[in-house]
Amino acid sequence: MGHTLVVEFLQVQLHIDQQQILTELTFAIEQGQFVGLLGPNGAGKTSLLRLLQKEYHPSSGQIKFKNQPLGSFSQSELAAKVALVSQLSGPLFDLTVADVVLMGLIPHKALWQTNTEHDLLQLKQSLELVGLADKERHSFAHLSGGEQQRVLLARAVMQKPLLLLLDEPTNHLDLYYQHQVLRIAKALSITVIASIHDLNLASRYCDRLLLLNKGQLVADGTAEEVLTQELLTEVFCIPCLIDQNPFGDCPRVSFGYKDDL
Amino acid sequence: MSKVLLAALPVPLRLLLALVLLLLVCFCALSTGAVPISISGLFGLSPLDEMQSTVLWQLRFPRLLLALLAGSGLALCGALLQNASRNPLADPYLFGIVSGAALGATIATIVLPEWQLLTPLFAFFGALLAVFLVLVIGASSRWQRLESLLLCGVAVSFMLSAITTALLYLSEPFAANRVMFWLMGSLSQASLTHVAFISPLVFITLLLGLLYRRQLDALVLSDESARSLGVNVQPLRLVILLLCAAVSAAIVAFCGGIAFVGLMIPHLVRSLFGLSSVALLLGSVWLGAVFLTGVDTLSRSILPEQELPIGVVTSAIGSLFFLSMLFKYRRG
Repeated sequence: MGHTLVVEFLQVQLHIDQQQILTELTFAIEQGQFVGLLGPNGAGKTSLLRLLQKEYHPSSGQIKFKNQPLGSFSQSELAAKVALVSQLSGPLFDLTVADVVLMGLIPHKALWQTNTEHDLLQLKQSLELVGLADKERHSFAHLSGGEQQRVLLARAVMQKPLLLLLDEPTNHLDLYYQHQVLRIAKALSITVIASIHDLNLASRYCDRLLLLNKGQLVADGTAEEVLTQELLTEVFCIPCLIDQNPFGDCPRVSFGYKDDL
Repeated sequence: MSKVLLAALPVPLRLLLALVLLLLVCFCALSTGAVPISISGLFGLSPLDEMQSTVLWQLRFPRLLLALLAGSGLALCGALLQNASRNPLADPYLFGIVSGAALGATIATIVLPEWQLLTPLFAFFGALLAVFLVLVIGASSRWQRLESLLLCGVAVSFMLSAITTALLYLSEPFAANRVMFWLMGSLSQASLTHVAFISPLVFITLLLGLLYRRQLDALVLSDESARSLGVNVQPLRLVILLLCAAVSAAIVAFCGGIAFVGLMIPHLVRSLFGLSSVALLLGSVWLGAVFLTGVDTLSRSILPEQELPIGVVTSAIGSLFFLSMLFKYRRG
């Protein structure tokens, strides 16, 4: 694990329409870490990711990217270094898989530049990486949810980012695809920040977890440090038990209803 | 099915087919009409009498160029607006452009009859006024939101139409007739000046559309997705809207209301060539030109000694087209 800092939040606050969304966030993420953002709905996970894309701007505090203020990067400079994979609500018009993946070239190409043979080779390699080499000419809209997410991952790979943001990448996917998407993201060996609802997936794939609650960072550490019975019960307001995942060297969380305990 | 058949053809053959169809329509447009001109006459292989020569060069040639440009321009605007707003029903009508042009033409004809010769200019500024209103009202209601912009377009369109209708109701019937006929669309007043005015707008819009092809593709997925790729979503959308407003305003000003071309042609192109922006924009320009030239030829030859307004024919074909699409989707 390197020690170069990719992302630094220094006492970051975010207000939207007079409402406090994030409070005094301070943390730093090193290069190559796979960081999971956890927390109940409305905890501020997506807002934190939007701050990193400059879609929102901090009300106070500072965000640094590669030791420089995030604000000093233009939208296209940032796009060449930060990629996002988020949920799509079924595109209205149909594009081919190749069209979607080639969009990853936007931050690296001038308007008049056409796609080179090297670009098309990269397209094939990106699709091979996500296991969709045979779907290049297929319609994107007609793929399954899991396949669409993998196409978006391939597009992120084309972007050649230093930092990959995953906004609830496993929502609406079946178990097999949930693991597959995160396994591919992990295999990229770049810095990843992923907001994940499933605590066991986060435990299995993330090197480090940030637990948010009502806009505050309530825990920051390894899965063993963050996924504790007291913390989770308090944050999610639901009883839970922690034991060892028999398939891996990581904690497993089981939830019950209040009546169960 | 048609898409599968087309995909089986190699690209050069497809381009050749497109060119042949375009030339065929052009020859039909030049040779058909009250004064028939043979194909050999068009190629200079047989002599043309004075009447034929005048009709060919003074009337049909400018009219052909205007039909090609207006068809291309309207279809191009429809394709750009539909992709940029992710709305399959977007076209110049939805943003109030045609209602604005109609109001401008009505004012020139009824309120200021001494300015009647400047009707196209009034229509042009009326259309720009409509877009200006859409943007100003949209800006005060967070126009960043796509839905707000579209709703503003619909509201402005109805508002301007109401004013036009009121003016027509209060005017003398002869003037009202003139406006009504203008609203139905016609290429009969075509001149090379019109062509010179519209062509730079269409070419610039097409060129920018092709340069920003990747960004337009990215807009189709979602704003968030496009932004994450470095696309400046709102400025890009604003430029597209303004360019389309200028192109459609110029076309509507000189040709009147030609409905359904901007709406129908991009749908047809998508089903034939797919959706990536390059295929969509070039396909729309080609098919728009072929379609409107064909329809114009039909509208001036379908009735003896009389022209049908071109807007009537495009609307009739457009409504049948959308009904056929509806039944196709129903069948699954």
